[in-house]
Amino acid sequence: MPLLELRNVIKKYRVGKEIVTALDGVNLSLEAGEFVAILGTSGSGKTTLLNVAAGLEKPTRGEVVFRNVTLNKLKEWQKVIFRRKQMGFIFQSYNLIPSLTAEENVALPLLFDNVPPWERMRRAAAVLAQMGLKDRRKHKPTEMSGGQQQRVAIARAIVHQPRIIFADELTGNLDSRTTHDIMLSLQATVKKQGQTLLMVTHDRDVANYADRIIFMVDGKIVSEEQGRK
Amino acid sequence: MVRVYQAHSYPGESEESKQRKLTDEAIAEIKSIEGVLAVSPAYEVGGEAKLGNKTGYLQIIGIDAATMELMDFDVDYGRMLNTSDQYNVVAGSRVIDNFYDPRQQPDRVKEWEEGDPLELLDKRVSVTLMNQRQQKRIYSLNVVGILSAKSLEYAWSVFAPIKEVKKMRDFSLQGMQGGQAFPPGKEIAVPELPRELPSKGDDQYSFALVRAQDVSYAKYISQELRDRGFNATSMADNLDGIEHVARQMQAVLGGIGAITLLVAAIGITNTMIMSIYERTREIAIMKVVGASFADIRTLFLAESSLIGIIGGTLGIGLSYFLSYLLNKYVGAMMFSGMEGENMFQISLIPPWLILFALIFSMGIGLISGLYPANRAIKLDPIDAMRNG
Repeated sequence: MPLLELRNVIKKYRVGKEIVTALDGVNLSLEAGEFVAILGTSGSGKTTLLNVAAGLEKPTRGEVVFRNVTLNKLKEWQKVIFRRKQMGFIFQSYNLIPSLTAEENVALPLLFDNVPPWERMRRAAAVLAQMGLKDRRKHKPTEMSGGQQQRVAIARAIVHQPRIIFADELTGNLDSRTTHDIMLSLQATVKKQGQTLLMVTHDRDVANYADRIIFMVDGKIVSEEQGRK
Repeated sequence: MVRVYQAHSYPGESEESKQRKLTDEAIAEIKSIEGVLAVSPAYEVGGEAKLGNKTGYLQIIGIDAATMELMDFDVDYGRMLNTSDQYNVVAGSRVIDNFYDPRQQPDRVKEWEEGDPLELLDKRVSVTLMNQRQQKRIYSLNVVGILSAKSLEYAWSVFAPIKEVKKMRDFSLQGMQGGQAFPPGKEIAVPELPRELPSKGDDQYSFALVRAQDVSYAKYISQELRDRGFNATSMADNLDGIEHVARQMQAVLGGIGAITLLVAAIGITNTMIMSIYERTREIAIMKVVGASFADIRTLFLAESSLIGIIGGTLGIGLSYFLSYLLNKYVGAMMFSGMEGENMFQISLIPPWLILFALIFSMGIGLISGLYPANRAIKLDPIDAMRNG
């Protein structure tokens, strides 16, 4: 049984008077522990696919099924709990909270999950150490480089040990050297923990770190191939 | 606790012809009015007094010693009058201030200072009365007690048994023409004058002291007495006027307060909305990371309540400061010459008001935060992230 399944998903937006079809009948299935990259140019609908798959946006038609649960039929508060327990998110612009330290940022998902403070901080510190940021725990995001901030964001995405991690252009703001380092450690982490990673990118090199690469054009999946790294 | 005020009636002084005379009959009638706890008829005389080397003026009120306790008389020093006392008196706490030493240089303006009421205790005071026939009589009074300083109504008078004061009064009224007293040498005969004033043998009292059961009765009793043709005044009557002015002031200040409150509430709401605009991205992040609606709402309501509490605390601090200044300077100015500064606080903050103000300001903060918090909840994390 696949972990996440998109069944004939259609997503249409109204932009002014025009109706834009972002997803045009997408069928996709992710197995547990799989690392899948979605590759496409901007406007191909890849970010929409990610948002719909994560339950952040509702599909116009079709179903998103996470194990036995149809995500798009859940109430907002149920989706919140789902996200809190099962999902992690990584974004292009890191999206750390500037007033909090690295450690506090990482502990944030645990805070909303009512994990006691000492336990939160212990786990956050452990994950940061795993991401090679042991001595950056007490730093604010502005005191860190882009690569370091993205590592903190990755730590935040995995601290609550989600089943699936969604990553949107996570290397978009990083140089190639840092991209390589980060992709390797992310790859190692999800493999080690058996987590599923769905990553969206326009960069062919980055997509190659995945097990499976899915090509998208105009809201449709056009082809698929194996990753090479 | 209800502070009890006495209704003092001073009938017999008005010039209205309807005026009721204050006779024993009238005293009995007053006693029968609802809410009257005790009544004492009273005579009043005044005269020059000597205390050792000091001279002064003494107002002597003769009352029924048996009713004194009911009238809320209380002594700080010495003892109370009893029915067997004759020329023994109890003095008000400030009577001593009536006396001065005439040997002191008159051009040296002595600063006013409080005398020690104990100076009077167990001393003899001689009072000189003079009647219209230019006869002089000296009475020697023995001070056996000093009244409690708490009672301002009684502070400036000396109280003596009624029988003795009646004798003194009767003497001082001797020689009045047609019952009317004129200064010697300036006598004008006005026999057609219809007035009747107490003369020797007449048992009209100078006034009567009436003690009500409580404040509300005091107002009622003095009104009732006026309706029956007596001239009654009481502290409670003044209280009405003071309360009216206070109510008006409260209404005006309350109005200003209400407007300020509204502006402040809008201020908090605006601050919170701006803060949500600024933190759109953070809110979105928290939502994506797993914050529920309740989490976000709690966060923003807590913040706005905190603004309210901080504002309330600052307000209470400022109020205390202003209240202190008001009491120290304005209050001292208004009541200069009266003793016991602590007694005349024109601004008073009761403890419950502080608690109320804190809870109220927190409530205002909370209410002001409701709309912004709901805006934060409705924020779409996807849109918010994209704009970042």
